[in-house]
Amino acid sequence: MENNEVLGSKGLLKKHEFVRILIQCLYSLGYKNSASCLEQESNISCKSSDFEFLEKQVLTGDWDSSLAVLDRVFDDSRDDSRRNTALYLVLKQCLSEYLRRGETSLALSVLQKQAQVFRVGREKIHMLAFDVITSKEMEPGEVDSCLVQDLRRRLLAELEKLIPTPVVIPGRRLEHLVESAVMNQIDTCMYHNSWDAVSLYEDHRCGRDQIPSETVQVLVAHKNEVWFVQFSDSGKYLATASSDCTAIIWKVLDDNEVELMHTLQSHQNPVSFVSWSPDDTKLLTCGNAEVLKLWDVETGVLRHTFGNNDSVFTVSSCAWFPDSTRLVCGSSDPERGIVMWDTDGNEIKAWRGTRIPKVVDLAVTPDGESMITVFSDKEIRILNLESLVERVVTEEQAITSLSVSGDGKFFIVNLSSQEIHLWDLAGEWKQPLKFTGHRQSKYVIRSCFGGLDSSFIASGSEDSQVYIWNVKNKKPLEVLSGHSMTVNCVSWNPRNPLMLASASDDQTIRIWGPGKPVR
Amino acid sequence: MDPRQFEHIVVKDNDIQSIVMSYLLHNCFDETADSLASTTGIHQPVIDRDNMERRKQIMHCILEKKALKAVELTEQLGQDLLEKNKDLHFDLLCLHFVELVCDGKSKEALEFAKTSLAPFGMVQKYVGKLEDAIALLAYEDPEKSPMFYLLSSEYRQQVADNLNRTLLEHANQPSYTPMERLLQQVTVARQYLTEENGKDAFPPFSLKDYVKG
Repeated sequence: MENNEVLGSKGLLKKHEFVRILIQCLYSLGYKNSASCLEQESNISCKSSDFEFLEKQVLTGDWDSSLAVLDRVFDDSRDDSRRNTALYLVLKQCLSEYLRRGETSLALSVLQKQAQVFRVGREKIHMLAFDVITSKEMEPGEVDSCLVQDLRRRLLAELEKLIPTPVVIPGRRLEHLVESAVMNQIDTCMYHNSWDAVSLYEDHRCGRDQIPSETVQVLVAHKNEVWFVQFSDSGKYLATASSDCTAIIWKVLDDNEVELMHTLQSHQNPVSFVSWSPDDTKLLTCGNAEVLKLWDVETGVLRHTFGNNDSVFTVSSCAWFPDSTRLVCGSSDPERGIVMWDTDGNEIKAWRGTRIPKVVDLAVTPDGESMITVFSDKEIRILNLESLVERVVTEEQAITSLSVSGDGKFFIVNLSSQEIHLWDLAGEWKQPLKFTGHRQSKYVIRSCFGGLDSSFIASGSEDSQVYIWNVKNKKPLEVLSGHSMTVNCVSWNPRNPLMLASASDDQTIRIWGPGKPVR
Repeated sequence: MDPRQFEHIVVKDNDIQSIVMSYLLHNCFDETADSLASTTGIHQPVIDRDNMERRKQIMHCILEKKALKAVELTEQLGQDLLEKNKDLHFDLLCLHFVELVCDGKSKEALEFAKTSLAPFGMVQKYVGKLEDAIALLAYEDPEKSPMFYLLSSEYRQQVADNLNRTLLEHANQPSYTPMERLLQQVTVARQYLTEENGKDAFPPFSLKDYVKG
């Protein structure tokens, strides 16, 4: 019973369709009585009359009628392949039943006449012939009427997937519509930071309590400016590097409190960069005027100094491969190039020479397939280590740092023009996404991805604040105050979307946690 | 030596007659062979007359649409012959299937396909041809189907030729006639000369042109 009543504030929803999908929903949730009750009260049937008729014909084995109904039902649609598949399935069941009963001539006549009459298409006709000869289901045998009914019901289930609307409506339609609406709301939610189920009672909107925005701890230990901070891949450790020539390994306890573990002393000059091995067991430290050193995390003991006592081999940045035994480092000296080592200190590979200017920053994607290098000072080279194909991205302003997203698909660079540019690794974008708001002109300021699915970016700033953006918006989402001097570097805990660390010239490291909700 | 100066080569009559004779014997034209021998006085090579008779019989079975009989006779000649030449065996069985379909014996054809052809469907290389053959069942008029080539006499001749060669191989006789080899050789030699010297100096070999004179 269709009428033209509409629902919704804009009159875009047809009432009979709305009720029909409600009934379908009740059935799919298992509330048969309620569903059937609603069918009676509203006089709207979940199954269309055409489909009910088809059901009856298939279940009683009236194949001619079934084929005719399907032919009619598909008449409007332009989807020939679904039509042919539906007719093919019915013919196959029909042939199977005839052959099982030993009625070979009947089967052959169906194959030769019906298949052609209904124009199922050459491919399907040939498939039917092949099935007749080779399929086990077409062997004569015991006829179990229960089994036959079962097969007929399965045929109907398959047909349901092929028949177009409105004769059959897609399964779980209401659920799908509601989920789409919720996904849209999540899309516009700037603070969204978890995959928990959301409430349907209100339009979804997260607040600042969903991201780190309040200081929960201040770490005091370094004796001079802290230039670098990074969480380990497991989020259980933190490492910081300072101009006091040391690096410190911190432990993140179960309650998210951070505790000092080891102070690594050996460098003669400021340490400006650290890198965690993916398995958490080793740490690399280096600096613009310093060599590269390898430490054991558990004991805090120095394992190796790279460069064969060549104290001129200064390393500006380094990165690990997923196997935690190979690492690569870039020199702050032009022509020294990039060198790949193993943890015993053996050189595996090197890129040297005039084509290799000073390395500003370096990273390896989490899958170990690509190496991204920032060369002094506007060039980004992305090298696929397997195919050795290289792609170059040139920026217009000097780049000071590089960071790769957790899924390895994107990377960000900080420019001395106070912009952060986000690029895709695959190279499909012609332009980067740009983020502004922070201050950067004189120093190296570093940023990072963070939060659920790397949907946020955080950066340090020369105005002593931490800036946080949602990737969807170029203006900052939150600006966090607390430090008293330039914030040089930030790191978002990869395993805890609510934990962020920042390192500052004020010699401290701040740990940030979820803010108080704004009421 | 200039390859165009072939006119200076002397060809003996005997050689030509041998070539013709071997062609006739290869293709089981025994009466013609006898006639040629008596007319020219050329000495017929010692060949296995019995083998030739059998081959002749088998070829005729195929061309006369008696593929199963051909299979039976082949097995008499060598038990493992068809075992070792599955492709050929499959082609022969397909021919029998086609014969049944053409005779209107659909039910028999269906049964035969299930028992004898279906097993070949397990092997990837036979699937295409098997699908084509079986699909004939779906057409009331196989002649009008897209697979009508399976019903043609050219196809039968092709299968017959293949079987003939296999039988000769089995009997340790050459499976290609000198005539065929000569034509193949000439074509290749010409191709080589054309590649080396260009189409104008040496056009590709065309038998038709030669026969016209």
